[in-house]
Amino acid sequence: MTPKFPIPDNELQRLAALKRYNILDTLPDHAFDDATKLVSYICGVPIAHISFIDESRQWFKSEIGIGVSEVPREISFCKYTIMESKMVEINDTFLNERFKDDPNVTGGFKVRFYAGVPLTTPDGFNIGTICAIDHVTKTLDENQRNALSIVAKHVISQLEVQTKNIELAAQKKIAERAVLAKDSFLANMSHEIRTPLNAIIGFTDLLAQTELDETQRDYIDSVQIAGENLLLIVNDILDLSKIESGNLTIDSEPFNLKKTLKHVYNLLKVKAHKEVEFNLFLDADMPDMVIGDQGRLNQILVNLIGNALKFTVEGDVTVSVKKVDETEDHYSLRFSVKDTGIGIPEDKLKTIFERFTQAEESTTRKFGGTGLGLNIVKQLVELQKSEIQVKSKEGRGSEFSFVLSYKKGDAKVDSVKTISKNDLGNLKILLCEDNVLNQKLAKSVVQNFGFELDIAENGEEGIELLTTNKYDLVLMDLQMPIKDGYQTTEYIRNEMKLDIPIIAMTAHSLVGEQERCYKVGMNAYVPKPFKQAVLLKAIKTVMSEDSDHGRRRIIDFSILDEMACGSPDFRKEMIDLFIEKIPSQTAQLEEAFKNEEHDTVKKLAHNMKSSLDIFMLSDLTNCLSIIEEEASFGEFTSESEDKIKILHCGIEETVKILKEL
Amino acid sequence: MRIILAEDNDILRKSLSFFLESKGFEVDHFSDGKDALEAIEKNNYDLILTDINMPGISGMEITQYVRETINSDVPIIILTSSGVEQTELDSFDIGANEFIAKPISPAVLLVRINKLLKIKA
Repeated sequence: MTPKFPIPDNELQRLAALKRYNILDTLPDHAFDDATKLVSYICGVPIAHISFIDESRQWFKSEIGIGVSEVPREISFCKYTIMESKMVEINDTFLNERFKDDPNVTGGFKVRFYAGVPLTTPDGFNIGTICAIDHVTKTLDENQRNALSIVAKHVISQLEVQTKNIELAAQKKIAERAVLAKDSFLANMSHEIRTPLNAIIGFTDLLAQTELDETQRDYIDSVQIAGENLLLIVNDILDLSKIESGNLTIDSEPFNLKKTLKHVYNLLKVKAHKEVEFNLFLDADMPDMVIGDQGRLNQILVNLIGNALKFTVEGDVTVSVKKVDETEDHYSLRFSVKDTGIGIPEDKLKTIFERFTQAEESTTRKFGGTGLGLNIVKQLVELQKSEIQVKSKEGRGSEFSFVLSYKKGDAKVDSVKTISKNDLGNLKILLCEDNVLNQKLAKSVVQNFGFELDIAENGEEGIELLTTNKYDLVLMDLQMPIKDGYQTTEYIRNEMKLDIPIIAMTAHSLVGEQERCYKVGMNAYVPKPFKQAVLLKAIKTVMSEDSDHGRRRIIDFSILDEMACGSPDFRKEMIDLFIEKIPSQTAQLEEAFKNEEHDTVKKLAHNMKSSLDIFMLSDLTNCLSIIEEEASFGEFTSESEDKIKILHCGIEETVKILKEL
Repeated sequence: MRIILAEDNDILRKSLSFFLESKGFEVDHFSDGKDALEAIEKNNYDLILTDINMPGISGMEITQYVRETINSDVPIIILTSSGVEQTELDSFDIGANEFIAKPISPAVLLVRINKLLKIKA
């Protein structure tokens, strides 16, 4: 059957072009509605539209005075317009052979005047039209015709932009996925490398504490240095991936600046060549205590000083710190690392901060290094809202400097208690860890502290030991076969209902991992390779904590935020509503439960579930499901009684947290 | 596009309607099934979104009424709490187009709505 409308020669390509824009059956759009209004104003007509014509219909993207979303192609006037390359203007349809008997001229839309411009894509296909229609005869003037053509062009560019935006969004998603893949690859690699490294460094540490002859001592020193260097490299790579993904944050904790500088100095002194004088100059009125990120300052200085010492074979390397400004609550300090080493050619001064670039290709061969250090330094300085400066003359030396602003610290925080182990008594500790080397290492360290240690090969074994013996504390590796650290903790908290302190130990440095640990109910987190002091501090912290303080609920706002579409007011309104409604509903539920009003309990429990869902309190929703189920059977057991209690505490805790927001 | 939402839980109803309005829909919302049904009879909605358990008239009854008495094929999405209400098959039987188990993911809801309204994301 031949269709009752003319078909352009390039119909197939035309339809393909239309399809590319993904415009058919989309929601109304202001940009197109505005263009339609413009047509109606310009031409002074009551009817205007922007439409697209596919195989069988004319679909209106935007319309004024038409009131339907599509018409069959055969009755459309525009089926002719898309055959043209220019505007079609019919001043009086009664006088037009083609249209005078058309049902929409004699009746229907009562079209007396029609002007349509084809919407032509940049590659030359007429995919639709923009039209002005009136019930009376009319003639457009030259300006109106021009304006109509301009609006048509505008509509097509709008379409192009929208399509490009969609393409861009898709590309962006692909790129983001690639970044994610890279991040998780790096995190995994770092795990694989750091697990054995943890063992190497830890055992060397222990070995160094035993009695050794001079040669052995020398060997052990070398192993220690090599191990630490390797760790530095792995950490460099990890840091970089964290900086890149925006996940590296700058701490704000009080620390002793002078001590930090002296520590760095002592640490690096051994690396200075024999002929090099290594100095540390501290300004006399430099503060002792400041508030800022000690670890990152350490990292910056170790990198810069390490470089200076590496590239300087004679002369001196001088580290100096000077107070350049002081306000009521801030110090500005200038840090400088100056050497008389090989220097940097002028044309390389800019690129040395780029990744994997060193001043000379041969640098890596001669001096080693990853080529990441200065890039990390630069980014770390910038994260602390400053800028790194470099001055250098080839053959004469270099100076790197930067100014950091620190909040003034309280001097008395300086008296940090030295870690002593004896005030905890004899703790019985359970370690869940599958790696034999790490087991041995942890065992020696924990026994050094004077504590007792039992070892479980995996989570399931750990759970078994926990049921038969009494422990004061669990050290939990996260990656284990059978049951991993998260699953094991969830089981201990939810099934065994034990509130024994659990410390996560992990070589993973995955972003968000720490939050996840706390979320499943762990009390502390120690990254591997662990330092003895850090582990002991974590043990002391969890042992002295109130048990309820340690297991604070973390509320997941992701569904609420999704619903709120970025509106803080709405978010707050819902939180207020929760605070206002839920506690009283809980009280009603408890009352009805006491009176064994099964029907009321059932209805209340059911209704409350939807509220708790929004705040993703799935543990409490589960309680409600059990209560609801028992209510519908018409009989409450001790299980419901339990769940009512858990719900009561959970709601109280949640409301308290929400109120503190 | 105009949507009617029937849900008796305040927080969920307000959140859903705020979310859908932010996404460009016009939303009339009711906490009572009877009020919702009256509005459906009076107005022309492009889509019905209803909870099952409500005071007055349930979501199932609304669906049945729309299909059998009003004889309308307007898309209907039923929201259910999974488990307790084994309603999936029943919902389809009486003519619902989709059912979504609570907890409701806003993103999933939007995709389903768009699919039913034949809107390309």
